[in-house]
Amino acid sequence: MNVLKIEDLSCKRGESKVLNNINLTIKSGETLVIKGRNGSGKTTLLRILSNFITSYQGKVSLNDLNILEDNLYNNKFNLIGQKNSLKDNLSIKKNLELWDIIFNETLDHAKLLEHDNLDHLINRDVGSLSDGQKKCISLHRLNYNKYEFWFLDEPFVYLDEVNTNSLIEKINRFNKNMGIVILTSNINLPKKFHKEVNI
Amino acid sequence: MLNLIKRDLLLSFYSSANFFFTVSFFVLILILIPFAFGTQSDQLKLLFKGVVWIALALSIIITVDRIYNADYEDGNLDIIMQKNRTIEYLVISKYVTHWFIYCLPLLVILPILSFLFYLDYLETIQIFINLFIGSFGMVFIANFVSALTLGAKRTIFLKAIIMIPLFVPFIIFGSDAGSWSILLGLSMLSFVISIYVTAYGLRLYGE
Repeated sequence: MNVLKIEDLSCKRGESKVLNNINLTIKSGETLVIKGRNGSGKTTLLRILSNFITSYQGKVSLNDLNILEDNLYNNKFNLIGQKNSLKDNLSIKKNLELWDIIFNETLDHAKLLEHDNLDHLINRDVGSLSDGQKKCISLHRLNYNKYEFWFLDEPFVYLDEVNTNSLIEKINRFNKNMGIVILTSNINLPKKFHKEVNI
Repeated sequence: MLNLIKRDLLLSFYSSANFFFTVSFFVLILILIPFAFGTQSDQLKLLFKGVVWIALALSIIITVDRIYNADYEDGNLDIIMQKNRTIEYLVISKYVTHWFIYCLPLLVILPILSFLFYLDYLETIQIFINLFIGSFGMVFIANFVSALTLGAKRTIFLKAIIMIPLFVPFIIFGSDAGSWSILLGLSMLSFVISIYVTAYGLRLYGE
């Protein structure tokens, strides 16, 4: 059972304070939806949880161990940022091959894309895809399955209803396997998720 | 680290046009010499020894955006940095791949170009050794400039203005035949400074 705890977290970006005394606890099997206005610090919070931002006040701990001191922490989460991490001049297949090398895991991409109805696009250049299709391919990274946390930054942007529901299903399945999901979103999601917080 | 080297080599293989552009650019700069200064063999020899360094410097400058900026702009740098928390390993892998992809091809064609410019075997070997050693130092400099200007868009001119003065010692000593030891010293100094500054630049990006 994992417990991710955020205690008295405050963070400044330049001169402005974007996060002010945030306190949150999230346990295995839960999904936390972070909501807030543009510039309220949703992405900053995810980047703190992903150990990219290290200069902040307060404490973030996993099972009572500060994430800044936990050497194994970075191998436990999968971060999907707002950028798609795709090379426009390469085909989907080649992009996925490059991901396999970085993630050190070889997936059966054809089969997985078939499940998402994207298999017919596998040899198309990413540059020729719509934003929604790019987002779907970007979310394909969730199939790398050795992670205990998913940190998703605006994952529903550009997705149609079918793909939104498919992602919600994926998140629920991950929760059932005791995974923790923290996502930022400004759209009204079905009340299937466990926690919602406004920052 | 080996994963990253493999990934960058595969990426360059998939976008092989970039590699041909750099080689063509290098050759074309050298080809300009006889057009500007005539075809007298003694003059060509002398000019080649200097201009080859200018061509190398410019070839490295035009590739500087491909070191970190391309991965930064499409978001791959986030994944790479997450999977490689020891940033120094990431930096070393970039040194290796950048040199291998963009400098090695230039060194491979150097002997052919040398003979076209009437250089004998001994002179060719001397230039080859100097360029081989000096190119590492120039790659180290290009890496830290790329990391420090990460996120700043369309700054190739700024990068060139920062890099050219730093390349000057390499160009001064590179033209001398027996100065490989000085170039080695310069390259080692560049490595020590570059690995620290590049890692700092990348950490700053993460913030």
